[in-house]
Amino acid sequence: MSPELAASAIHFLGMMLLIASFWILTSSQIGMSIRAYAAHSFLLALITAVIAVTNHVEHLLVPALLTLVLKTIVIPNVFFRIIRRLGIRKEVESYINIPFSLLLAVLLVFVSFYVTGDDKILKPVAFSEFIPLAISTVFFGMLMMTTRKKAINQVLGLLLIENGLFLMAITMTFGMPLLVEMGIFFDVLVAVMIMGIFVFKIRDAFESIDADDMTVLKG
Amino acid sequence: MTIDRVLWMPLIFAFLCLIPCPKRMTRLTFMTGAVLSAIGAWLFVFGTSWSPRVFAFNGNLMMDSLSAVFVLLITSVGVLSAVYAGGYLFKEGDSSISPLRLRRYAFFFHLFLFTMLLTVFSNNLGIMWIAIEGTTLASAFLVNVDDKKSSIEAAWKYLILCSVGIALALFGIILVYYSAIAQAVVGESGFLLNWTFLLSKAKQLDPQVLRLAFIFILVGYGTKAGLAPFHSWLPDAHSQAPAPVSALLSGVLLSCATLGILRFHILTTAATGSAFSGTLLILFGVLSVAVATPFILEQKDYKRLLAYSSVEHMGLAAVGLGFGGVLGIYAAILHIVNHAFTKSLLFFSSGHLLHLFQTKEIGKVKGIFRRNPFLGVVFFLGALAIAGMPPFSIFVSEFLILTAGFLAGKFLPCVILLVLLTLIFVGFLRHANRMTFGVPEGPPPIEEKSFLMDGVLGVGLIVIFAMGFYIPGPFQRLLLEAGRVAGGVIV
Repeated sequence: MSPELAASAIHFLGMMLLIASFWILTSSQIGMSIRAYAAHSFLLALITAVIAVTNHVEHLLVPALLTLVLKTIVIPNVFFRIIRRLGIRKEVESYINIPFSLLLAVLLVFVSFYVTGDDKILKPVAFSEFIPLAISTVFFGMLMMTTRKKAINQVLGLLLIENGLFLMAITMTFGMPLLVEMGIFFDVLVAVMIMGIFVFKIRDAFESIDADDMTVLKG
Repeated sequence: MTIDRVLWMPLIFAFLCLIPCPKRMTRLTFMTGAVLSAIGAWLFVFGTSWSPRVFAFNGNLMMDSLSAVFVLLITSVGVLSAVYAGGYLFKEGDSSISPLRLRRYAFFFHLFLFTMLLTVFSNNLGIMWIAIEGTTLASAFLVNVDDKKSSIEAAWKYLILCSVGIALALFGIILVYYSAIAQAVVGESGFLLNWTFLLSKAKQLDPQVLRLAFIFILVGYGTKAGLAPFHSWLPDAHSQAPAPVSALLSGVLLSCATLGILRFHILTTAATGSAFSGTLLILFGVLSVAVATPFILEQKDYKRLLAYSSVEHMGLAAVGLGFGGVLGIYAAILHIVNHAFTKSLLFFSSGHLLHLFQTKEIGKVKGIFRRNPFLGVVFFLGALAIAGMPPFSIFVSEFLILTAGFLAGKFLPCVILLVLLTLIFVGFLRHANRMTFGVPEGPPPIEEKSFLMDGVLGVGLIVIFAMGFYIPGPFQRLLLEAGRVAGGVIV
């Protein structure tokens, strides 16, 4: 792949990634957000692979492959299984409506570009435009965790944060050492499993999976 | 013994506990596992020359005097907690918890010990992160043993809040790695995250990036360590978990996260050559004590009271680390050790209290002394100790922390702390007084004696009393060395 082609491919993928982040945030149905998350992870895997090939850092291909397998296939499937067993067909419930979260998201993108603008502390090794993208993905995840009512959406928000951090690691340092990267993947997978189990426990005990029904503990 | 073997022990016993067999056998495996792991760890710590460091696993794991102190702490409280759980959860003839649940409990208990040991043995900061996230995942099921609404809520909050916190810490670690990789050849990346390597090259790391990283680490691991204002999961999880688990969470889990902060504190101070990270630690430490104070004074639930007291003491330890110098670090680590034993003793007695009074409300507990004189004595003395009454061990370390502060010329935080500690002392005494003395209401419940549970209380009381006067020689050397390792950098 010629450098020019690679550069424009990366730009294009970065743009798509941002669109996918918006998609996750604005989907009104849980199934759609999960598909959007799978798309987001797929783009992340592609970006990782392109960076690995063009910069000759072959060890990055392993996390790229793991992202492809775990985050685009395994984890979304776990989610689909959970919502099927829970019998949720319905929409995402949020404390703020979708147009407003879209507005907030746009603001967050501006903030991310502003805080990482030129001449700041970070001078990334690979592609500087990915730093604000990564930070806005982290912000989006946090927005999701704080505004969504359903426990399962909070888990999705957490995964989005993790995707953002992964992108950050890839573009700033060509990824963490392989051993650490594998460990993080393992942790994420176990976390999703355990949180999935707890979603069922919440459903059984509270007869809903609205996290805001959980108000027993105070003070 | 080697580091690997110390780590293998709890992992092997975790899986042994899963074997389906009668309750009594599971209990035996569970308790022997904790005791054997502890003996192994003690033999290793005192049998190897850990000075300056022992490496394993390509330098990814390491034991220095700092980790040695924490290994002793984890395994000692682990044994106490396992023996207590042997009497508390594995009661004979009690069918309230199914054998399957008990096996799962035993499994996660040992897994939890394993992840904590891995945390303190980590030299590679990335592995430390993985291990700390592992502690959250392993202990979530321990918090929720009975599937009650409140336990599920507590466990969920614990999982979500700590996972987000730890994600921020990962950002900090990426920043540290970035600053290291800027100095080195790409590709040779295996050892770049090793704490010892980073420390040896600290002067070449970008101080700006490390400052930024430390903020994220403080927020991330601070969530796990229970520093205010990130502590909101802590009172829920600690109050809903069964007594032996509360003791572990409060006594050692918080301490492990604090060790994580300390490692980065040392690194940041060495790289920036300034008191930046120390000042932040003092700030958040004092804030934690201040936030905990009103909740301690006005608390209605005795397990939450103990939980908020943990926020207070972790704050104090953070302040001690922030003051720095050999004395400050020594005092902070001693405080962490003393807090671990005292607080776990109190959480164990909260298990007794729950059996005896069937409630967690302070208002409904009266006359512990009349119902069970032994428990009354232990609980009252424990409360005095945690409030900072001499001659108990907590008093000694609090005194040393404040001395370090005055010596470092940090008068303002010391004065604020003195005022707050007095308030907390009064508050604790009032609660303890009301609960211990007086005439109990209602008919006494059926007395159920457990030799194991009472034994743990007795041992705990002796430890906190003795540590106030005399710290055993080898352990004292270890503490001093730990203070010197860290305090030599942080002046």
